[in-house]
Amino acid sequence: MSMVYINIFLAFTLSFMGLLIYRSHLMSSLLCLEGMMLSLFIMMTVTILVNHFTLASMAPIVLLVFAACEAALGLSLLVMVSNTYGTDYVQNLNLLQC
Amino acid sequence: MKVINLFTSSILVTLLMLTLPIMMASTTLYTNKLYPQYVKTTTSYAFMISLIPMMMFLYSGQDTMISNWHWITIQTMKLSLSFKLDYFSMIFVPVALFVTWSIMEFSMWYMHSDPYINRFFKYLLLFLITMMILVTANNMFQLFIGWEGVGIMSFLLIGWWYGRTDANTAALQAILYNRIGDVGFILAMAWFLTNLNTWDLQQIFMTNHKNLSIPLTGLLLAATGKSAQFGLHPWLPSAMEGPTPVSALLHSSTMVVAGVFLLIRFHPLMEHNKTMQTITLCLGAITTLFTAICALTQNDIKKIIAFSTSSQLGLMIVTIGINQPYLAFLHICTHAFFKAMLFMCSGSIIHSLNDEQDVRKMGGLFKALPFTTTSLIVGSLALTGMPFLTGFYSKDLIIETANTSYTNAWALLMTLVATSMTAAYSTRILFFALLGQPRFNPIITINESNPLLINSIKRLLFGSIFAGFLISYNITPTTTPQVTMPHYLKTMALTVTVLGFILALELNLTTQSLKFKYPSNLFKFSNMLGYFPTTIHRLMPKANLLMSQKSASTLLDMIWLEKILPKSVSHFQVKSSIIITSQKGLIKLYFLSFMLTLALSLLMLNFHE
Repeated sequence: MSMVYINIFLAFTLSFMGLLIYRSHLMSSLLCLEGMMLSLFIMMTVTILVNHFTLASMAPIVLLVFAACEAALGLSLLVMVSNTYGTDYVQNLNLLQC
Repeated sequence: MKVINLFTSSILVTLLMLTLPIMMASTTLYTNKLYPQYVKTTTSYAFMISLIPMMMFLYSGQDTMISNWHWITIQTMKLSLSFKLDYFSMIFVPVALFVTWSIMEFSMWYMHSDPYINRFFKYLLLFLITMMILVTANNMFQLFIGWEGVGIMSFLLIGWWYGRTDANTAALQAILYNRIGDVGFILAMAWFLTNLNTWDLQQIFMTNHKNLSIPLTGLLLAATGKSAQFGLHPWLPSAMEGPTPVSALLHSSTMVVAGVFLLIRFHPLMEHNKTMQTITLCLGAITTLFTAICALTQNDIKKIIAFSTSSQLGLMIVTIGINQPYLAFLHICTHAFFKAMLFMCSGSIIHSLNDEQDVRKMGGLFKALPFTTTSLIVGSLALTGMPFLTGFYSKDLIIETANTSYTNAWALLMTLVATSMTAAYSTRILFFALLGQPRFNPIITINESNPLLINSIKRLLFGSIFAGFLISYNITPTTTPQVTMPHYLKTMALTVTVLGFILALELNLTTQSLKFKYPSNLFKFSNMLGYFPTTIHRLMPKANLLMSQKSASTLLDMIWLEKILPKSVSHFQVKSSIIITSQKGLIKLYFLSFMLTLALSLLMLNFHE
């Protein structure tokens, strides 16, 4: 594996760790989610450009679209939590009410 | 013949003269107080000039057709402005102008206090112009222009007092029912266009088609809508919401006979089609009987006369059904005189009693309004067919011809019963309005001494007495009337009329002082107009709206587009997450366990050998 790919893979792993291990704010996990999406996008684009895999040029764009949707979903959940408690501290989410 | 040169020019002068006050409407003449007088004198001069072509026609017996302006040619069909001046239009135009002249003079008295009287006269004149267009049209397109024109003017005039909800509803009702008839007219026009390639009457009458039922059905539907036959009749009694001059002009003499006139125009097509004649006959018989039954228990004097008009229209349709178009036309001309006069007399009574239209609140006017009483009695006698008054020359001939022809016995019986009912409700009007003790308010506003009122009714009075004789003995003979018949058939019309008179008078006198407790079922049927407006006006729209609400709104919008997928999915998710959740929300621990599992599995996979 070349150096570029290891770099990008490392970025991805770091963001992933950041998503799973966080202290108090829900916002930080959402930011790390965005970082994951970004690194995936870069890896996909570099692979396609290097290998001249033109037919798959659509895939990064589609990835971006879906990333935007999921970011919107995550933000709306954040807003709902923030409306109820005033902050987005994770320790508030101990009452599951449906 | 040299005389013929005056024929076409005088009829064109007549028609053109009528449009002059309309063109003057943009000048200062329109805002003048003398505009009604101007319109009235224009109509009277038009009448006198139109007598010239009528007498020339009666002398020479020649039909004429004027075709002046070629408008458009659509592929193989040529449309031009053409006037047909034959027997029917030449006799109808002077009669209509005479009646309109009297009605305009009457409305100068009746609508005296109306601030928009100039506009009223403009509308009346526009109506007259479109009626003339209808009557003199030589192609179906021009006829349709006149047809729609009288419909529009009827709408504007019925809704004259537009602040009143009932008047607006009645005007809309008139338009809607006329529209249903127009569908039939357009069907006939389309058939003629596709099969005979023309809309000109001359070419249509040359046809040799075997089966003409489709266009004749269309024309019959058009006549049903315009002339208020059974099925499309409720608009005529409702049209009494308009002012009395409007009722006198439109809904008794001129507009409602347009449907009958249409059928008379197309009589060469109907001559050989026995099916259509039978349908026409039965439709006319049902109409005349049904409306006569309804007229027996009405309490508004104008509604009684409106139902009387409807019954006479049914009689005209019956006459067409027994293949006697010339007799029907004669009845149109004679009926115009006495029906307009009846409406004008009722207008005089209404104004004298300070706008009281309920017949139960009139009475004792025999001595108080002598001139109106005279004309009301003469008009009613003419209507019922008193020998040698106007109505006799047409109505008695119709009944005699129906009796001696090979026709449907049930339709004949209906017509005879309706004739006796004519006498009955006429007696009712006379009894309640004129005889007995006064039942109106003691404040005396009774005044009939205005010369406008008296002169106009006097002219129509002379017409009601003499016009039948004058017209019958001067027209060209057409179909030979049946002169020999058994004596009981000859006196049948007179007998049933006298029977109706006597019966009605006896019933009115004996029940005068009885207390009116509960109406019987027959009374309710007659008074509520056979429940026809009540059911049709509510049931059919409700059924339509309900069906469309159920199928479009409920089924498509709410169920298919909303409930089936989106709402059911969200509902299901919420329900199931309520059932299966037992978590406490320790998100950090859950994420940590996820990461530990991943790291552990990666390590183990790397060091498996």
